[in-house]
Amino acid sequence: MSKVIKIYIPNETSANSVGANMLHKTISNLIKEESVKIIRNGSWGAYWLEPFIEIEKDGVRTGASYRNIDLTHLKTIEDFFLDFEKKNPFDINEIDFIKNQNRIVFSRIGQQDPLDINYYRATKGYESLITALEIGHQETIDRIKSSGLTGRGGAAFPTGIKMQTVFDQDVSTKYLACNADEGDGGTFSDRLIMESDPFSLIEGMTIAAYAVGASKGYIYLRSEYPLAKDFLSNAIDIALKNNYLGENIQNTDFNFEIELRIGAGSYVCGEETAMMESIEGRRGLVRSKPPLPAINGLFGKPTLINNVVTLATIPALLSDQHSEFSKIGSNKSVGTMPFQLSGNIKNGGLIETRFDITLKEMIENYGSGTKSDKPLHAIQIGGPLGIYLSSNMLNTSLTIESLEELKGSVGHGGIIVFDDSVDMSEQAKFAMEFCVKESCGKCTPCRIGSVRGVEIIERLQKNKASKEDAILLEDLCETLESTSLCAMGGMTPNPIHSIINYFPNELIEK
Amino acid sequence: MSSGQSNTFEPLTLIEPFIEKKGGLMPALHALQEHLGYISKESIAELAIAFNYSQAEIIDVITFYDDFRTKPIGKNIIRICLAEACQSQNCKKLLKDISSQLNLTLDETNHDSGITLKEVFCLGNCAIGPSVMINETVIGEATTEKIINHLEEDGA
Repeated sequence: MSKVIKIYIPNETSANSVGANMLHKTISNLIKEESVKIIRNGSWGAYWLEPFIEIEKDGVRTGASYRNIDLTHLKTIEDFFLDFEKKNPFDINEIDFIKNQNRIVFSRIGQQDPLDINYYRATKGYESLITALEIGHQETIDRIKSSGLTGRGGAAFPTGIKMQTVFDQDVSTKYLACNADEGDGGTFSDRLIMESDPFSLIEGMTIAAYAVGASKGYIYLRSEYPLAKDFLSNAIDIALKNNYLGENIQNTDFNFEIELRIGAGSYVCGEETAMMESIEGRRGLVRSKPPLPAINGLFGKPTLINNVVTLATIPALLSDQHSEFSKIGSNKSVGTMPFQLSGNIKNGGLIETRFDITLKEMIENYGSGTKSDKPLHAIQIGGPLGIYLSSNMLNTSLTIESLEELKGSVGHGGIIVFDDSVDMSEQAKFAMEFCVKESCGKCTPCRIGSVRGVEIIERLQKNKASKEDAILLEDLCETLESTSLCAMGGMTPNPIHSIINYFPNELIEK
Repeated sequence: MSSGQSNTFEPLTLIEPFIEKKGGLMPALHALQEHLGYISKESIAELAIAFNYSQAEIIDVITFYDDFRTKPIGKNIIRICLAEACQSQNCKKLLKDISSQLNLTLDETNHDSGITLKEVFCLGNCAIGPSVMINETVIGEATTEKIINHLEEDGA
């Protein structure tokens, strides 16, 4: 057994986008001997290294980056091994980017075949579901409450309290809806979980459903993620075969099924009420709240709605990692947050860490600076509705509280880096353009105000000193903020305000 | 993607598995489009009967979503990401280049080459942009050359 040489070639969207599939094809054609085995693992989330190929031999696993490397000239697998040795392979767990993280939710990504349920079980997978089934509904909810977990989708609402509300509804039919419509530009943590550790999401959903008393769950997955769709469908099938889904789960009277629903290219369907409309088969128009989905949600029934990362965190909270998780951070910013560092950055990827690290640590220590080597100019945090910070604000801590103080939000944890070639007035205009494209159309300020917003910003681009347009833009933003039903219209002004405030004279001359 | 032939095409057989499903309209629309490449007039009529909606209501749903279309488009769909992370990686220039190379503007189909060019907002490939999706394949650090090569390899 130990004589087998394993070659790990990731099967994950980003790794494949820079050639992992192609390399897999080439290398697998070289293998004639049974002692060499290929494993399609997930990605480690250190994306500048992808495709990162590893070899495990005599219990030692090392890897090297095969970015832009063509192997089609190789004749035998020995040629590949020789080539690999010349690349000075290293243990990825030893690089600072991985070593300095605190991976609890993302502890399995990259390690093995994401659909290998035996590996999942060998790493404490499904132990938490068994625990939940033993301790019962209320105790499960209590443990999630005491962990301090808040929703990682954007709104940062305490997860346990939401679960309690659904559990407390005296209704026989309840639903769980997993929001996998990860539409924020610069985010991919949900995708990475779904592609590289899908069982953690399925287990998290199963525990959450048991806790609140739901017997049917939906995953609303965006259509832009076809590989995640494949992994999820396969993982659901495997979980069914192993009695982790379906009827009488693990010989209890708990039944739970998951249905995968695919979106159709609408950003606003990531807003929970629009998502429900879409699952019900209608246009994704937002609903007004109340009623809360926890009381009156999908098909008029109490519905627990959480995003992928939030649900995938739940198994850890019912294990001995509970205290490790809850000891990190304070207030709303408890536990680890999977930040996603992207854009013009050298070392981009998934960084699961405590919230209270500074932007400087994030960009310099993890990211190693801009990819273009040009000076850093702006950083957008929290997706299209998030604020832009300037390069002199790098001491900002990434906690929910600290970003709220700046009138921004951590959102779903996206951090996008721009060098000094960026035109901030274009970024301001894009905020409005995006709202024009993606508004569901229900609220007038969002639907029409965004169009006027684009026009005003275009005028300001021609004359930054126009007092009249500056005041008009301010009024428009105020109207959007106070009269939109959801965050789409309500938060579109955030990036614009931040550009006015933190980038003086780049949009408006004061 | 769109392998179906309209003359042997019966919308109802594709719709049927979803009629009894709660909120089955979206998956039914996906099934139809996957088969035919678009949602045809006759499909809309069948959907309206099957789901007890008016045809206007079906069209109402179809037109809300970017993915659904009521007319055939190219065999190969190129979606270029224009979201913020790709903006920082100069996706606007890439769009210009690819547009002139393929002689296509956004949302336009070249019926000779069978290529449609579309925009998309985030493919989740943000750390190695700019990103482009050709049918279901994502290309990272995308260049015009990479896109053309991919189309050629796929026999477009």
